[in-house]
Amino acid sequence: MSTLTFNDVTKRYDDVVAVEDLDLDIEDGEFIVVVGPSGCGKTTTLRMIAGFEEITEGDIAIQDEVINGKRPQERDIAMVFQSYALYPHLTVEGNIGFGLKHSTDLSSDEIATEVKESAEMLGIEELLDRKPGDLSGGQQQRVALGRAIVRDPEVFLMDEPLSNLDAKLRAQMRTELQRIQEQLDVTTLYVTHNQTEAMTMGDRIVILDDGKLQQFDTPMECYHRPNNEFVAGFIGEPSMNFVSLTRDGDTLTREGFDYKLTEDMVASIGSKTDVTLGVRPEDIDVVPEPEVRNDFAATVDVIEPFGKEHNLYVFPENADFEEPIIVTLSGRRRFDEGDRIGVRFAPDSVHLFDGEQGDALRHPPNDDDEIPSSVN
Amino acid sequence: MQLKPTVRDAVSSLRERETRYKLSVYALAILGLLAYLLPLHGGLMTSIKTISEFAQSLPMAPPSPSGFTLDPWFAAMDILGPSMINSFAFTIPAMVFSAVLGSLAAYGMTMVDWRGQVGLMALFVAATFLPKQAIVVPLSRFWSIVDIHAILANLGPLNVWNLPYVQDYHATILELIITHSAYGISICTLLFRGYYLTIDQELMEAARLDGASITQIYREIIVPLSYPMFAVVLIFQFTTIWNEFFYGLILSAGGEAAPVTVALNDLNSGYAQLYNRQTAGAFIVALPTLIVYLMFGDKFAEGVR
Repeated sequence: MSTLTFNDVTKRYDDVVAVEDLDLDIEDGEFIVVVGPSGCGKTTTLRMIAGFEEITEGDIAIQDEVINGKRPQERDIAMVFQSYALYPHLTVEGNIGFGLKHSTDLSSDEIATEVKESAEMLGIEELLDRKPGDLSGGQQQRVALGRAIVRDPEVFLMDEPLSNLDAKLRAQMRTELQRIQEQLDVTTLYVTHNQTEAMTMGDRIVILDDGKLQQFDTPMECYHRPNNEFVAGFIGEPSMNFVSLTRDGDTLTREGFDYKLTEDMVASIGSKTDVTLGVRPEDIDVVPEPEVRNDFAATVDVIEPFGKEHNLYVFPENADFEEPIIVTLSGRRRFDEGDRIGVRFAPDSVHLFDGEQGDALRHPPNDDDEIPSSVN
Repeated sequence: MQLKPTVRDAVSSLRERETRYKLSVYALAILGLLAYLLPLHGGLMTSIKTISEFAQSLPMAPPSPSGFTLDPWFAAMDILGPSMINSFAFTIPAMVFSAVLGSLAAYGMTMVDWRGQVGLMALFVAATFLPKQAIVVPLSRFWSIVDIHAILANLGPLNVWNLPYVQDYHATILELIITHSAYGISICTLLFRGYYLTIDQELMEAARLDGASITQIYREIIVPLSYPMFAVVLIFQFTTIWNEFFYGLILSAGGEAAPVTVALNDLNSGYAQLYNRQTAGAFIVALPTLIVYLMFGDKFAEGVR
């Protein structure tokens, strides 16, 4: 149980920058999910904490003690690997007890007791005599978790631990992992490229792109007030729709499409001319015909039915859009491919981003302008 | 279900073709087996014939009752006995040393990160290609400068060569152990390295985070995982060192320390070629390697799979 701090941490391989000036203050017992596209530096970040990668610049501290020069075995960290990395020649008991045997002075009886306790917590006590090769993927995953838990470390590191499980087991382990982490209250860093895991598991999430921190905030905050276009597009499924536009007075335009701005939008844009308009698919309204200003006519190109909802891929009439606009609608509404519909971007669903830098300029106002920090 | 005649014909012609294919494969296998076994059979028959019977019968033919004898085997055993002990005395330690040192070196060059690994590895690779003929002169010079006999004599308070059962020629056995170990390390290292490269690196990282030191990781994780590879390397080294002739000849000079491969030459007596005794000797010399293969063949197959 400890705080974990990154001070201007940079990792360079020759002339490639894997992680750049990363600053994080992680509180005691927090569950932090590090998320980003592949190659964004998230695994490198984890491996720097573990001590498998040297830190080029800056420092990482656990409970205010800088760990830069320490060897992995001196850092009191436990890690769950993507491949599980179970010792194939040892039994489950040997696997879970390996760390205690080497990092503590416990007697073999005490180790056996601890191992049994962790195994019970994970529901694998009847597997203790088996070898990893005889276990299913889900059971191996639990053994790997047990090996980390039993050490009672300062910090847990998890590198895409659920990515080798099938969808159903993954959902089950997701909640179980959260339960265990809450119970143990150990500061946890969880790396994934799966944004569902990021949204549902993290107390806060670290979003990285190209080695740079994009946002470090609660999942709700990242979803409703993304710092920039990257975060807005990365969090949320399907992604936010983006339309690049040029400002002309109080209107954003491109050929065959324009959007009249409200007063507060004009104020948020300031003097910028290139502006990207962003709307989440589920915030878009569909009406039979364009009715009010800013409504536009569009044709339904493809429908993805999910049962409880559909995703409609629509192209505005008259305008030349490279990408379709994706609209998510209730599954009770009926549409056919080729239908002509009216699309409405209501002012209270429009995000605006700087067209050049991608920084967020405006988010839709929320109820009381407050975002729930957590659902529970 | 009733098949149309044409389909039935096609099926039966396919079956016929398959049978013919299988037959030819078996025929080829049997031919191959004969080709391998015939010389052995000839050798075996020769080793149990008297010299006059050998001169009068075909090499492959079994001996007639009057021409049958086991004397060549007893004679060969008598002559080869001491050198068999010599061969075991240096083959077993050299095989173990080269395998253990090779495994350690491979571990150091694959699983542990440090500078200069590539250069050192290149040296090991080069060493496997070093021809024995090129080493022989420096080797014999080396052992004439490094006098093991003298070093051990002056090592402690008492002279080891005065101990019971210790003979002067045992110094040469020691030279053979060291020479074969050193020569074998390079190939053993390469074999182990190839195997260690396939071990998941995350396993090592997990063990490091679990607090195990580099030597503990080697002992508790790498060694148990390399049992199949140890079987391969030990069998390979046993066969190589047991069958080795050149170093044995140079270092022992055919003296008391001569390995069995060198002593084979003593089976000839003067002018006459004693073919029966020579073939019996050849079988006796080949026996240990054959036994090793029969005992550990399955482990070997597992390791090279």
